[in-house]
Order: sequence, then C-alpha cells, then structure tokens
Amino acid sequence: MRKPIHLTAPPPTLEEMEKHFRIPKARKEELQALVDEFKAMLSNRKDAPVNSAEPEKRRKRASAA
Amino acid sequence: MPPLPDPNGVFLNVPYDEEFSSLYIAYIVGLCQLGLVPHMASETPGGGRRLDRIFEHIQSCRYSIPDLSRVELSVTPTAVPRFNMALELGMTITWQKLHPSRHDWFVWESEPYRIQRSAGDLNGTDACIHNGTPDGFLRELWSAFWRETMPSVPRMLENYRFVNNNLNAILYKKGTSNPYDRSVFMELCWISKTLADLIRPTGSAARKP
Repeated sequence: MRKPIHLTAPPPTLEEMEKHFRIPKARKEELQALVDEFKAMLSNRKDAPVNSAEPEKRRKRASAA
Repeated sequence: MPPLPDPNGVFLNVPYDEEFSSLYIAYIVGLCQLGLVPHMASETPGGGRRLDRIFEHIQSCRYSIPDLSRVELSVTPTAVPRFNMALELGMTITWQKLHPSRHDWFVWESEPYRIQRSAGDLNGTDACIHNGTPDGFLRELWSAFWRETMPSVPRMLENYRFVNNNLNAILYKKGTSNPYDRSVFMELCWISKTLADLIRPTGSAARKP
C-alpha cells in the first residue's frame, strides 16, 4: 500500500485561485447565491454525520422496509 | 527547463465523456477540499496542439492523476481501444523519471487488478480503486493525500452532492450541455474552492475519516 503524500504547501486562497480561474463579476454574484444556499443548509442542519450512501440506495432501502 | 511546478497543482487526465461526469465532479470537488488546484487540458484556450498543452500541464503541476477506468473498446461498429489516457500516462511517467523531485502521479482505476490486464508493465504500481463511484473516489483520495487540515469523507461527499445537484443550473447558464467545457470547469473549480473554505476543519476536528 502506497504511503499518502503529505501536502505541506499551504492551500491557495480563493483570491489566488481566482487569478487563474477568471470568472466575470456578474456570474460570480450568481454563483455566490449558490454558496449562500449551501451556507444556509449547513447552518440549518443538526450536526449529525452525513450518510454516505447514495440517495437512490437510501430510497430503495426505505421502500423495501 | 520549465519553472518549478505549482506545489498544489494537479493535472487531471480523465476521459471527457458523459458517463464519467459524476466522477469528474467528484475529482474537482475532492481536490479543492484538499487545498489542491485541479487543471485540465481543456482549460487552456487557443488552438495549439492538444498533446503540447497536456505536456505543459504535466510540467507545471506537482501531481498527475491519470484515470484509466475508461480504457476500453469504443462503442462503434469498428471498435478501437481508447489509448489517450495510456499515452498521456506514458508522458507523465517519463517526465517523473527524468525529474523525480518535480512530479508524482497516481493511477486511478475502477476495478482491482484491471490495470494488470490492460497495462501489465505497471505491475507493482498501487492503483487507487474508485469502483466507478464518487464515494469510492473520495475515499481513495482521502487515503492518497494527507494534509493537517482536511475534511472527513462524509463532509466531502456532502459538498460533492451539492455541486453535482447544481451542475445542470451551471450548464444552463453557460448555454452548453458539456460539463468539460472550459468555462464550466472554471466555475466548478471556483464553487468547489469556495465551499471547501466554508467547511475546512481546524485543530482536533481535522482528518477524521
């Protein structure tokens, strides 16, 4: 088994990434709305572990029960 | 000699086909979660030779992730094997052999031992087996890299699902159905990085599977 590679370089900041992944300002504002939706989702949920099973599998299990 | 590679740069050498798109999203989201920066051949504009662009990416990134899970016969009357991934892996291996401190690579596959059948010369190489699923990919990615602060696999999956669920909205806005399109790739990277920064763990919360 291969040893994991230890990442020591600090992760890039969003600003650094934006220099490369140039996105028009208007579009960024639209995408920011999605991010805000995700933020709201995080703040609304209980801090329970997320079930890693795919929703489809969960649906099948629920309907079989 | 080209300049030193980006220590967080990862060249994604993956098939651009519809069936692979879920894994493609998982690659982007997962790498951003680890503080890495994904790159693809399609992100570079211009009409240069594709092979030249690919080699430039290999040289400028610290890591390569070639995915061989779609090395198979094409579905056409005169079926031919898809050799692109293998060809580009050969370039990657050569570059790494010449400059071991500048580059490293991980082969990804969908099934255990498939690589021994498709490319026996890679015997002795531990392939990362993703089972063709985003869950499998994120689990393997979590094992392949180590960073002091990295989110758990369920957290990474949560981000993946959110981005994947919004893929159609992004495609619609870009007026394309191709998730591998340059501008779509860049938006997927941006949103993945932004979401990753929201859930980046610190201290004792870091690196719980």
